[in-house]
Amino acid sequence: MVGKPKIAVYWTGGCGGCDVSFLELGAPLLDVLAKVEIAFWPALVDAKRADVEAFAPRSLAATLINGTLRTEENVEMVHLLREKSQLVVAFGACAHLGGVPGLANLVSREETLRRVYGDGFAIAPPPGGEADDAPPNLLPQAQPLSTEVTVDYVVPGCPPPPALIGLLFDALLSGDLPPAGHVFAHDKALCEECPRTREDRVLTKIVRPHELVPDPEACLLDQGMICLGPVTRGGCGAACPKAGMPCTGCLGPTPHAGDPGLAMISALASLVRAGDEGEASFAGEDAVLDSLVDPVGTLYKYSLPSYVAKRRSG
Amino acid sequence: MAEAQFEPRIVAFLCRWCAGAGADLAGTSRLRYPPNAVAIRVNCSGRVEPQWVMEAFRSGADGVFIGGCHPGDCHYVSGNYKARRRVHLLKRMLSELGIEPERVRLEWVSATEGAKFARLMHEFVEELRALGPRTDPGEAAPSAALPAPSRRKG
Ligand code: SF4
Ligand code: SF4
Ligand code: FES
Repeated sequence: MVGKPKIAVYWTGGCGGCDVSFLELGAPLLDVLAKVEIAFWPALVDAKRADVEAFAPRSLAATLINGTLRTEENVEMVHLLREKSQLVVAFGACAHLGGVPGLANLVSREETLRRVYGDGFAIAPPPGGEADDAPPNLLPQAQPLSTEVTVDYVVPGCPPPPALIGLLFDALLSGDLPPAGHVFAHDKALCEECPRTREDRVLTKIVRPHELVPDPEACLLDQGMICLGPVTRGGCGAACPKAGMPCTGCLGPTPHAGDPGLAMISALASLVRAGDEGEASFAGEDAVLDSLVDPVGTLYKYSLPSYVAKRRSG
Repeated sequence: MAEAQFEPRIVAFLCRWCAGAGADLAGTSRLRYPPNAVAIRVNCSGRVEPQWVMEAFRSGADGVFIGGCHPGDCHYVSGNYKARRRVHLLKRMLSELGIEPERVRLEWVSATEGAKFARLMHEFVEELRALGPRTDPGEAAPSAALPAPSRRKG
């Protein structure tokens, strides 16, 4: 008898949120767990690297990897898992695009180490023990999974919404697999599924979410919030805009948008006004544009290592 | 032996109604200006996408020049105003990324301003020489909108 397909879930430089996100599947998770054998999942199952090394090549049906690649050990582990797996899935924004930890690419590795381990609060000796203060072997930059191994599929999101996780398991368990490279989300922009009414109003001010109680019906971008809905894939059901929070782009850009930040700069430049267009309004327009605090952190919150991606060296 | 002077490479997006014609005039008037720029003619400065500017940097440009019509003269009424707002935001982003914002320059040049075009090119080349070559890597990781081919296949 052929056994249940074996799967693995692994985390690299992530926050743990992706591991927890499986619980959001609710009852269907029990069906999934009944149909697969979990061979390796550090968050749930006590297995060690040596156990993975002992697996036969390609003996895992699928490995879902979350987190950004940030240490040499991350890289070794994903190569090891790739060798043992038929399919590798980039699970969550960190593995897909670099994720929030990818914003550390704005500063050098040395600066990161200094902030965390040098001046930092992060390591204190355990009571009665010694400080283990050898910093991990950080890579120069955070990298998405696809920079090291072939990625067969992507489940995007921070963390991935249950509906999209469900699509992945439907495909894996039915054997009805999409073509390589498939991203389990829509190719169309989030605005298409957002219930808010968008009128492409001109923007005379840019506000941050805590500065405004938004109108419940109107588009958040029209109300001056930087909502990345126009350049971001749909598939989440517009959970954030429905709750009055602008989309921050966690599903990644649509294939059409390309570089999400540059596409959004274009869009914002078209919308911003300070009175009639012309020389007399230049200073006013600049003031509106300058009220966008931290353009890189806002427009590339999850994707810096995948796009403009320049960092200071040394 | 004297060290060779750094010759910055410039990509110049020139609106064909104004700056492009201005550049032609500089040429036909035999005004001398440095040959560092590769000119790309566009229908309006408002057509220049931030993605193109970054693509120029990725392809090795040290500076990007955008020439548009004077305020009030844009053939499409407001393309130059849009270009100005784009460049303003793009420059803020560049400084956050550690790329000197002076490497992008937007100027108004009319079809009769051949001399102004030549002067701006001189100025820009001098400014870029002072900044030196771009030292940042600049090239993005392979676009991860879709999984990119891996460097080392597992
Ligand atoms: S994608 Fe989001 S939830 Fe998942 S590991 Fe990264 S930061 Fe955490
Ligand atoms: S709120 Fe955001 S997602 Fe919804 S229509 Fe407006 S821009 Fe699009
Ligand atoms: S036509 Fe020249 S800038 Fe628009």
